[in-house]
Amino acid sequence: MKRTIIRTTVFILLLAGCFGGTLLRSQNVSDLIISEVLALPDSTSIVDGYGNRNGWIELYNTSTGTVNMGGCYLTDDRNDLQKSLIPKNDLRTKLGPRQVTLFYTSGNAHQGTFYAGFKLRPGSTVYLVSNDGRTIVDSLQIPANLPAGKSVSKVPVDRKALRWEVDPGVEFPSPMVLNGSVGAETNAQRMAKNDPHGFILTIVSVTVVFSALAILWFLFWILFERPAKRKKKAEEAGKNAPAKLSDLPKGEKGQEIAAAIAMALDLDGNGDTVAAISMALHLYLSEALHDNESYVITINPKTTSDTPWKNPARSFRRLPR
Amino acid sequence: MEHIINSLEQFWQYTGFANCEWQNLVMILIGIGFITVAILKEWEPLLLVPIGFGMIIGNIPMFPGLNIGVYEDGSVLNILYQGVKQGWYPPLIFLGIGAMTDFSALISQPRLILIGAAAQMGIFGAYLLAITFGFLPNEAGAIGIIGGADGPTAIFLSSKLAPDLMGAIAVSAYSYMALVPVIQRPIMLLLTTKKERLIRMPAPRVVSQREKIIFPIIGFLTTAFIVPSGLPLLGMLFFGNLLKESGVTRRLAETARGPLVDVVTTLIGLTVGASTQADKFLTGKSVLIFGLGLLSFVIATTCGVLFVKLFNLFLKEGHKINPLIGNAGVSAVPDSARVSEVVGREFDPSNHLLMHAMGPNVAGVIGSAVAAGILLSFLG
Repeated sequence: MKRTIIRTTVFILLLAGCFGGTLLRSQNVSDLIISEVLALPDSTSIVDGYGNRNGWIELYNTSTGTVNMGGCYLTDDRNDLQKSLIPKNDLRTKLGPRQVTLFYTSGNAHQGTFYAGFKLRPGSTVYLVSNDGRTIVDSLQIPANLPAGKSVSKVPVDRKALRWEVDPGVEFPSPMVLNGSVGAETNAQRMAKNDPHGFILTIVSVTVVFSALAILWFLFWILFERPAKRKKKAEEAGKNAPAKLSDLPKGEKGQEIAAAIAMALDLDGNGDTVAAISMALHLYLSEALHDNESYVITINPKTTSDTPWKNPARSFRRLPR
Repeated sequence: MEHIINSLEQFWQYTGFANCEWQNLVMILIGIGFITVAILKEWEPLLLVPIGFGMIIGNIPMFPGLNIGVYEDGSVLNILYQGVKQGWYPPLIFLGIGAMTDFSALISQPRLILIGAAAQMGIFGAYLLAITFGFLPNEAGAIGIIGGADGPTAIFLSSKLAPDLMGAIAVSAYSYMALVPVIQRPIMLLLTTKKERLIRMPAPRVVSQREKIIFPIIGFLTTAFIVPSGLPLLGMLFFGNLLKESGVTRRLAETARGPLVDVVTTLIGLTVGASTQADKFLTGKSVLIFGLGLLSFVIATTCGVLFVKLFNLFLKEGHKINPLIGNAGVSAVPDSARVSEVVGREFDPSNHLLMHAMGPNVAGVIGSAVAAGILLSFLG
């Protein structure tokens, strides 16, 4: 038992050690990033709902769950983190998984939910602040020499590990569009391009299926089958050894005792053995033989779980009929 | 009078007769055929009766826009169908399967796990064939999983990879599962010699309760770490098994393998059947899917039997495996194991292979869930 527990624990620890690098992330405002910023618009920049061209800040939800950014703040001033509030009671502030949204930096937050109360300028830094008004969730510095109509953006280096790199040389701004080309292609499309006949996927998949089940085989063999075989071998070895009297079945036990008595009588020269055996038989048959009681009452715990004390089903009150 | 005639005309337009097309009638006939086969032949009646009746429900011609069809947002059928579309039902069925499956046969002879792996070749054989026939990789993956011979897994994967083909894939998977005795027997006889069919395997050892409890934990950790995308299926399967084997959650296990799995099976069968509306189902693609599904079963059975023969080359006399249990790697539990038993007893009435065949059979369930996870991670 102990051995199995130790083996199991070691296995679990090994797995945890091997894969300990995988992080679990909660789905909250910390999953938001500032994915792209345009400080100064030009004649090619997009027009807002009022017909004006403004700078803008694009936010991206990196998580696989919806994040509510209502109550967070946007600012370009490190000393004033609560410069422009994102309204709380607007359903549109819930950003879906892997989605982007745009805030216009018109300088007038009263124009709507998606308008920030400041204007951007090259050289400044944009901050996204959590709804506690203190924690900076993400920031992006705008290069001082960024020309009008150009944006600075973050492109994914590794989407799974959520690493992003600032790319100041974006040729064309891409508001409301996922940065980088990785997201534009589905896995199936990539597979169709890279493995048109399906051989690679087949070989890899068959290998993985076999490996997974072979590992299971190995584990069960080492945890269960091998110890069971050893135990069986030991038992078989034990069978060949001379049996103890107490291990023998009832019928054989009587024969063994009779043989032992006969041998003892053969060896006995002065009748002491006969006397001892006669006394023992007399006591046994007349039921005069009795253990000396210790007068100590012992209650051994029951090992089974099926007792009225342990089984909630028995201890709970039945539903009234 | 005119008002009455107009009303009657309007009523007529809403009736099934006015909206009926021949495709609807064909699908209704197929549905009736499913029910008939299920009742008369008792082929997978728990699945084919709900699917068959679902087909009839889904193909009643109706005036669109009344918010009653399975594809109309917010309708009752549509709400029930979400369990299929979003993939809630298959993991719940796996919970029930875990709670009703005894893995003792597998634990006592772990080497039989590999037969379960070999039979998954049916999935990838069908995948390659589907690609050759011009299906996209995601569609090919969803079609390939028919070879896993596991209805919930097929529904789970096709709902993620190719929702449009799900009806045809699910119906194909369940149909061939019902036909396992017909498909597998000739292949088994073709690939084995008389001498091989008479191989007697040593009786499996008795498995302790402790081993049965440790099995789902180790099994889950191993497979889920290797293929996390199979988590919903693997997690529920092993969790259900832990409920069964722990000995302290008897009520939960009974619910999982009883009322819960019954409710979900009813709903999954009915809604999958209802989703096979004529315009989506009666296509050339469906015919191809049925053909590929059959081939996947053939490949899976062939690979399972051949793998045992190959395995035997490395085993000592007295430890050899009867190749008639190779087909049981196809995870149609317990039908394929039953086929091993029946075919085995045809040649030696005293040679019972059922317990041995249950090992690869339940390993096939794990293997097909792992394969589904791999396909999902590559193509999802």
